[in-house]
Formats: sequence, C-alpha cells, structure tokens
Amino acid sequence: MKTKKVTSLVALSAITVSLLAGCGSGSAPAADTDAAAAESGATTAAAETGSTEGTTEEGKKEHSDDEIKDFSMFIAMPGSEINDGNEVQEIIAKKTGVRVKETWLTGQTDAEAVGTIIASGEYPDYINGGDAMKQLYDAGALISWDEYLDKYPKLKAYYTDAEWDSFRQDDGKIYWANVFQNTHGESKTTTHNDEAFWVQARVLEWAGYPKIQTLDEYFKLLEDYAKANPTMEDGTSVIPYTMLCEDWRYFCIENAPQFLDGYPNDGSVIVNLDGDKPTVVDYNTTPTAVKYFKKLNEEYNKGIIDNEFGTQTYDEYIAKLSTGAVLGMCDQWWDFAFTVNDVFKQQGLDKLGCDYVPLGLTIEPGMPNQWHAYGDTLNNSSGVAITTSCQDVDAAFQFLEDCLDQEIHDLRFWGVEGVDYEVDENGLYYRTEDERMKATDTEYQASHLCDYSYMPQWGGTSEDGKNAMMPTEQTSEFFANLADPLVKCFEAYNATTYVDMIGSEEVELGPWYPMYSFSNAMTTDTPGGVAWTKMGETKHEWLPKVVMSKDFDSAWSDYMDAYSACKPEDFLSEMQEELDRRAANQ
Amino acid sequence: MNNKKKITWKEVRRQKVLLIWSAIFVVYGIIFYYLPLGGWIMAFQNYKPRTGLLHSQFVGLDKFKFLFSDDTFIKVIRNTFAMGVLNLVFTFVMAILFAILLNEIRLNHTKKIVQTISYLPHFLSWIIVTGILHDAMSSNGIINELLVNLNIIDSPINFFADPKYFWWIVAFANVWKETGWNAIIYLAAITSIDPSLYESAAIDGAGRLARIRYITLPGIRSTIMVLLIMNIGNVLNAGFEVQYLLGNGLVKSVSDTIDIYVLTWGISQNDYSLGTAAGMFKSAVSIALILIANAIAKKTGEERLF
Amino acid sequence: MKEAKVKVRPRRMKQSAGGVVFDVIIAVFMILFVIITLYPVLNTVAVSFNDGIDAVRGGIHLIPRKFTLDNYSTVLHKQNMIQGAIVTVMRTILGTIIALAANAILAFIVSRKNFMFRSQLSLFWVITMYVNGGMVPVLLLYKNMHLTNSFWVYVVPGAVSAFNMLVIRTYMEGIPDSLEESAKLDGAGYWTIFMKIISPLCKPVYATVALFVAVYQWNSWFDAMLYNRMKPEYTTLQYELMKLLSSVMQQSGSATTASSTAVAAVTPTSVRAAATVVTMLPIICLYPFLQRYFVTGLTLGGVKE
Repeated sequence: MKTKKVTSLVALSAITVSLLAGCGSGSAPAADTDAAAAESGATTAAAETGSTEGTTEEGKKEHSDDEIKDFSMFIAMPGSEINDGNEVQEIIAKKTGVRVKETWLTGQTDAEAVGTIIASGEYPDYINGGDAMKQLYDAGALISWDEYLDKYPKLKAYYTDAEWDSFRQDDGKIYWANVFQNTHGESKTTTHNDEAFWVQARVLEWAGYPKIQTLDEYFKLLEDYAKANPTMEDGTSVIPYTMLCEDWRYFCIENAPQFLDGYPNDGSVIVNLDGDKPTVVDYNTTPTAVKYFKKLNEEYNKGIIDNEFGTQTYDEYIAKLSTGAVLGMCDQWWDFAFTVNDVFKQQGLDKLGCDYVPLGLTIEPGMPNQWHAYGDTLNNSSGVAITTSCQDVDAAFQFLEDCLDQEIHDLRFWGVEGVDYEVDENGLYYRTEDERMKATDTEYQASHLCDYSYMPQWGGTSEDGKNAMMPTEQTSEFFANLADPLVKCFEAYNATTYVDMIGSEEVELGPWYPMYSFSNAMTTDTPGGVAWTKMGETKHEWLPKVVMSKDFDSAWSDYMDAYSACKPEDFLSEMQEELDRRAANQ
Repeated sequence: MNNKKKITWKEVRRQKVLLIWSAIFVVYGIIFYYLPLGGWIMAFQNYKPRTGLLHSQFVGLDKFKFLFSDDTFIKVIRNTFAMGVLNLVFTFVMAILFAILLNEIRLNHTKKIVQTISYLPHFLSWIIVTGILHDAMSSNGIINELLVNLNIIDSPINFFADPKYFWWIVAFANVWKETGWNAIIYLAAITSIDPSLYESAAIDGAGRLARIRYITLPGIRSTIMVLLIMNIGNVLNAGFEVQYLLGNGLVKSVSDTIDIYVLTWGISQNDYSLGTAAGMFKSAVSIALILIANAIAKKTGEERLF
Repeated sequence: MKEAKVKVRPRRMKQSAGGVVFDVIIAVFMILFVIITLYPVLNTVAVSFNDGIDAVRGGIHLIPRKFTLDNYSTVLHKQNMIQGAIVTVMRTILGTIIALAANAILAFIVSRKNFMFRSQLSLFWVITMYVNGGMVPVLLLYKNMHLTNSFWVYVVPGAVSAFNMLVIRTYMEGIPDSLEESAKLDGAGYWTIFMKIISPLCKPVYATVALFVAVYQWNSWFDAMLYNRMKPEYTTLQYELMKLLSSVMQQSGSATTASSTAVAAVTPTSVRAAATVVTMLPIICLYPFLQRYFVTGLTLGGVKE
C-alpha cells in the first residue's frame, strides 16, 4: 500500500515533468495537435473545394454543404455571438457558399485585442479592428483592395471614387471599408439618431407646445413643469434634468457647445468657415461654452439638475430614465432610446407622454442648428478588412459583394419572408406584432437571425424603390410603434418624424467632415495625441466640478488653468494640419 | 550558485532528490517567469508591433522621463499607495479577526454555515459588487437612510462625489468581498494547533481571551507573518477594477491607480512602452518593499519568506 | 443552545460570566457579518429571477417582482456553453492536481531546514510574484512553445504559484522536526518522508490550496480569450459567460463612431446576475467536501503517538 501511493505520485510527477519537457523543447502536446489538425483540416478542405464557385450568378444556385467555405471574423466591438446552425446563416451560406464565424470583443479594449492579435501573428480571415485599424495596417496584416475592387461591381459601387480615395493609407492603397452610414437611394430616416436636448412629450403638452429655441427657454420650461408637477402619478419625485458623465459617455455633458453654436458634430473641434480657409476652433473654451456651463451651474444650485449626475453610472442613468421621472437630458438617441423606450412601452409610460422628443437648441434664438446629420457620415478610420491569413481572398471578396446583394441584404436585416416579415399587396414589407416581438428576443436572434452586422450594408431605400433597407427605417414600422402623446406632439409642431422635430438645417458638409475620424486614431506618439488624452482626463474631472461649484467664476478659471496645462494648442495644430490636408483633397 | 563549492559532496549526494527537483522547478521558473522579462526592453524603446522587440526604435530613458515629469503619474502613485495600505490593514485584520472569532463558535453547525456564507462574496464579480455598493450608498440608499434616521447626519451625503470618502469606500468593498475567503488560510492554520494546549490552559483557568492571545495567535503567527510580508509586496497592486467601476470624474484625482494609468496610456493609446515602464517601476518598488519587510522580519526573529 | 455546546466540547462544564459575554459579542458580530454578507448575494439571486426590463427600475430586494426564468434560459442556451463547461471541468481537475503536486513538492523542498539552496530557491520564487514582463512577451513565449491554441496553456504555465507554495511551506514548517528525524533514522528517503510523514499531516493546507487553485481555474476566462480566441473547442465556461455579458452590455466605442445599427436592447443587470449564480453554484457545492479536510487537522495531536 505504501509503495502504491508513492508510485501514483511519481507517475503524476512524471506527467508533470514530461509536460514541462514537452513544452520546453517546443513540441506541442499530442492531444492538442490532433484537435487542431481536425479543426483546421475541416476548414482547409472546405476552402480547397470549389474555389471558383459562386463568382457568377450567385444566389441562383444552391451550394451543397461540402462546398460551403468557413471564414472567421474578429470584430473589435462587443456583440452577440450567434449559434452554430443559425437558420438565416445557413440560408445565406447555401446561397453564397460562405459561412462566417464572428468573434467579438470581450473584456479588452479594441486596441488591446488588436495588439494581442498582432503580437500572436495569427489573424482571422476578416477583421474589424475598431479604432485600431491603423495598427493592423502598420503590422502588414491586411490585404490591399485595389487589385480586387474592379472585379466586384456592387462592392465598388458601395462608395464613390472620392470616398474610396479617403480610405487610402500612406502607401496609396485601400485596406478596409467602413460598413455603416451609407444610404442607398432616398433616405428613410425617421429617428434623430444623433445628439439633442431631449424633453418628455408630456412637458411640452403641459406648456401648450411652446417654441423652445434656447437653453434658457429649455430650463425655464423644465423648472415650471417641475414646480407645477413635483411628483409622478405614483409619487416619485420628478428629476427635471440629469446628465451622464461616466467614462466615454461623458459626451452628454461635454460636447453640447459645438451644437449650441450651430455647428455639426465634428466631434473634437469646430470647423469655422468664416475666414479664407477653414480653421479649427476649440469648442471647450468658446464664450458659448462658458455660458452653457454657467447655466448648468445655476440650475444645479437651484436644484433643477439631479445632484447625483456626476457620480451615476450608465446603468443607474438608464434606470433613472426608465422610471419616467427624468424630464430632460442631453444625449444621443442610440445611447438611451432602445432600452428606455422598451421599458416605457411595457410599463405604459409611453401613454402618459414620457417618451422623449429632441429639441434643436442654440445659444441665441433664431440660429440655424446642425444637431441632425442628414447625410452619411463617413468614418474612414475604421471598417472591415481581409487579412493576410485568409486562404481564399477571392472568395472573401465575393462574399463582401454578396452581402450587398438585395436578396442577401433582406435576409440579413429583415429575415425570412413569412416568418420574420410579411409583404402586402403593394409589395411593402411589414411585421406583425408577433414578428416584432420575436425580433427583439435574444434567443431567437441567436438561433434564427444573422445580420452579419459588421459586413457592408446599406441604409435608405431598397432596390425595389419602395422598402427600407433596414426594418427600423420602414415608415410603417415607425408609425406602428408611435404612442399617442408623441403623435400629438409631432402634429403640434407640424412634424411627422423626429427629424422634422429637431428641425436641423440641411448643409452640404465639407470633405473634412467628420474631424473625429482623425482625433479618434491619434496616439501618444505625437504631442497632439498626448495633449488630446490629457485634455480628456482634465475635462472628465473638471466639468462636473465646475457645474457643482458654489462659485462658478473661480471654478471656471481653475478649470481653465488645468486645461491650458494640457497644451491644447499641440492638439489643435495637428487638427488644423489634418483639416488643411483634407480640404486640399477636395 | 557556483560559489557554493564549499558544500560537501556528501551533502550533495544526500540531498540529490531535492536538488534534482529544485533544478526542474528552476528551469520551469526561468521559462515561464523570467524569460518574459525580456519584454522589459520595451520600456527603453518606442515599441511597435510591426517591428517587434528586436527592431523597434531605441529611445533610452525617454519613457521614464515622461512618467516622472507627469504630475498625474505622481498623484497616481500616491493613490495607489494609500489604497494599497488601507486595503492591506483592513482586509488583513478583518480576516484574522473573523477566523479567530469563527473558531470560537462552539456550535459546529452554525460555524459551518457562517463560514460557507462568508466566502460567497468572493464569487461575485466586481461589476455586481460595485453595483450593489452604488445602490446602497446613493442618496436614497440604505446607508444614507440609516444615518439620517439615527440623526447622525441631517441630509443624505453623496458619498461618491466627495474625494475624501473614496479610499475608505474601496477599503470597505475589499473587506466585504474578501474577508471570508482570506480567512480560509487562517482557519486551516488554526486546525493545526494542538487541542490539548487549549485543554490544559482551560484547566489552568485561562479565560477565552487569554487562550486566544496565548495559544491561537502564536499558533498562526507564522502564517500571519508570511502573508503579511507577501502582502506588503503587493501594496502597489491596489487594483484597477474597483477604482475603475466606482470612480467618476469628480474623484478622479484620488481614484486613479497605477494600473488605470497604464490602461489609459499604455493600452488604450497603444503606448506599450510607457505601460511597460510603469509596470517596471511597480515591480521595482514591490521587490524593494518585500526585501525590506523580509529583512525586518529576519532582524526581529520572526518568520520570513526567504 | 446549551446542550449543543455541551455536545461539542463536553470537557468544558461550567461557563464563566466573562465567557457568556464573549459568546454574546461573537454572536452579535457574526449575525451582523452574515446579514451584511448575505444580503447582496440574495439580492443578486432575486434579480437573476426577475424580468430584465423590470429590473432596470430598481427596488428589488430579496424577492423577485416579476418572476421569470428567461435570464437563466439566456445563459444556459448560450452557444458553446456545454463545450465550455467540459473544458472548464477538465482544466479544474487537471489543473488542481498538477498544481497541488507541483506546489507541494516545491514547498517540501524549501521547507527542509538543511537544504543547501533553501533561501535562494525561495527568493527565486518570491520574485516571480512581483514581476512580469507584460502581456506581449508572454504571448510570444507561449506561441513559440506551441502553447497557444491548445488546452495545455490552462494548466502548464500556472502550475507553480509562489503564493500557494508559500502557504504550504509555512504549514509544513509548523510540523515538528522530530517526525522527520525519526523517519530518517529508520532509513527513509525524502520521498518517503514527503509521502508518508508530511503529506498526511498537510491535508488541511492541501485542501486550502486545492480550493484556491480550483476556484482560480474555474473562474478563468482571460487566458481562454487571449490564447484560444479562434478555437471554440478550447473555450471555457467563464469565457462564454463573459462573452454573453459584454454582448448585453451596451455597445461600446467612442460616441462619435457609434454605428446606426440598433444596440442590444436586453438589460444586462439580470442576465449578469443569472450568470453570477451559475458561476457560484458548483463551487459552493464543492466546498463542504473540502471543509471535511480542515477538520482532520484537529487530530494532529493524535498523530504524534
């Protein structure tokens, strides 16, 4: 018995030793190799067969199982994985001969994830590196598109030549294409997806739908309403105004001055067109910025602004909005509306007029505003790319092409006809209430829907000239979801959609727009990048402090001292350089 | 190791088994822990993934100069130390206290249940813990409610808006989450104390406090010392997740730690070199601390690490 | 209560007044401790059974307001969950055995008082606790050793941990030398001493370290992501849960680049809570078995004979 125990432990140690030795000498343990071989074998076998398949007449012919190629894709954004055997994915695979396995960002930043992928040198077939595309290019990990683009007409037509040119890197070649904000035909936008000062429809109704143009009028309205209606029907006290300052979402407090001055969302700077050439202006220090923050400070000290605004997390913010008690805030639509509107609907709060409508405020009355971005915003710093690890580049490009095919596009975003949507006698797509519910069910999404959301896609109007490319933009779908108080509110302002409501000016934007596509890609390699990071840190700390201070003027001057210590001029001069470069490319 | 020639061959032969095993462990350690230290070379380069470790531009001490000329970095060091020390003191004392008191419970069943409950928080992720904490400490949360009702304060305090509370909140969060878990080691150590010692002490008329003082504490002293020294070396690892999740713009000046700094500058901005330099600094301080702690322990004749 | 006391320690017949006060203090302390500890845990359980959108409104304490199993269904229907569970169980078992054996042997070596490199070897390992070369060099090392895209990356690199080794060493040093000496006189080698004398006495600390390693292995996900990102067959349970969490947490990225596509509409809080409960359960079930070994330490006195 004694010996038995000893032997077992010796055996165990022997295993340990052999493992160590195995690793030290650089040979992979057998089990691993087998499994890996099995896996990669399947992929390569699939890739070898029928590589010329599907280049012409795609969609007409069904691909059998063993002809389907499996590609991998990494997307440096958090997202939902879909199940193996997802129904729409299989349908698309049969039609195009390609199946893409998407892997999303988990617990890392995009730069970190891309950094480790580069370090390992093993790339997926497709990659969307978020703001870290430049690194992938620098690492030589991407396939250039120039030799392929002409072979794929739909893909080529996805952007104009000038737009394609904006993707060119310093070696003059194209390596990726952004897949968002690209409108096909007429725009179908009904929501204001961008930033605004929002107010609950019931507040406007109570005040008799006044014309609200300025910050002062806006806060006066909130104050008056809160004085007359201090609590909700269920007894919760109303919160007239709140702001989110958490992490990167602090844009909710930070970037309003650019809009209040009537400029579009260049993100990090204002582009001023008054001189002989466009110049960058720092919106953090303009007189408007001072006025805006002074107003916030006043309102905070009056108790109109939520006293927890500076410390609340995103979850808490959403929870607060979901109670219907918050009368107004400044935010971007996508940041709150999806969750909050669902809750309103479920709790019946939409019937009470808790839904938010956007107001196109400016610092002085009567100024034109550019809160709403009418055209497509081309962010050329990010997009989908094909890597050097891809075994069948032609097939990979073919699949990008196929993604833009109307039939495939409908499958991706609308789903299967008769299951996920219906077609009426006029050929218009619609969803039944049941189908709408199904589409929001996460389990159903995972097992049935497959939108390949980071592959090329269109907004706007479908090739049939009638339907919207995306169900969210289908007019009938929009109105089917609209509660009465909203309809009444829109009518009172002579509007039919959110876009009319905010009443932004439609302006042809310069070729430099949006400037954030440059500042997003800045790194600390340059003094400007260092300044940009420091400015962000300083604003994060000081903006809530300034708003909460008892003495605005001294707090503001302390803030300005801290701010100028970051050397914003370094940042601005690099932005100006880029602006000049972009303006010259016109 | 060559200068140890004085060791007799006889001794070597006698310890052959130990030596062979040591060698295996040293090889393993070199491969997995010491080889990657070659990455420290990054701190002296402008590392770019494309060029790799061997061909990146050499910049000397530039990255360190940047670090120490940056006010933020100095502040961040202060914060890390402060939170590290607070965490160390509180989690340490609480875990020992808890283990000893738990051991004094004479109902075996209760003891087991309490212990099982005590380590549950260890399994809650920081996201959940900070969420709960935020709830409890908000202006209409349970803590403010309690304080107002007990007339300790007049109006609710916004705990997360004032820098002076932040370090204590972090310390409390750590204590809450890890006390039961950390106590496991001490409980295991207490079981190794000979029960007959307690019996004879009881016969001699020693009270329970006296028994804790003269039997239990000395019995786990070596464990306490070893963990203390180890944790002193860990003071700079005050973490980033808690601070990241609990912090906000208003308390940034006290909440940012070295790890957050590395994350902001090293990772998000892709300056791996700067991140590595900060990491090197952290390692150097940790080693210095642990050497000092160990030397003090050696001098005072206490248990030591090496 | 009194009866139970008598049962556990029959030798203590009378209880002094001070002892009673002491009992009361302990009782109060423990009751407070249990309440403060247990409430958030129970709250998490309650939220995990509550409807996601409803939970956003807050105000849920110990009882779910709108009961649902959807959150669990979301968690358990996650793709690769089964595969992840298998890999996690494998790595937990294998990783714990290997780590325990390695740490125990190393601890045994450095706890031998006459071992010639005793303090050097300790220092060598202590240093490893405080230095690291960063993520990229480690990744390159593993890649060159063919540990990436492999199961072994979970159990081989972390097998020796200085912390666990030191915990065992400290315990071993508390064992009287006389035991080893007498065994040596009987002609026993180091192996015999380790296996037959030391290890049986170390059950409590082995159980402790096994628990530490097992929990570490059970909860690990970062290594799965870093080294086996594109290999679903080596995914782990926690990695799958993390993927689920970061997908329900709203889409990240800088404000200005946010895409026009809809953001996931599921509220994360309750799914997060369900994932937490799923994570905790197995370890909670495991603990009572390990706890048994902590009690065996009590018989230590008897071993001396």
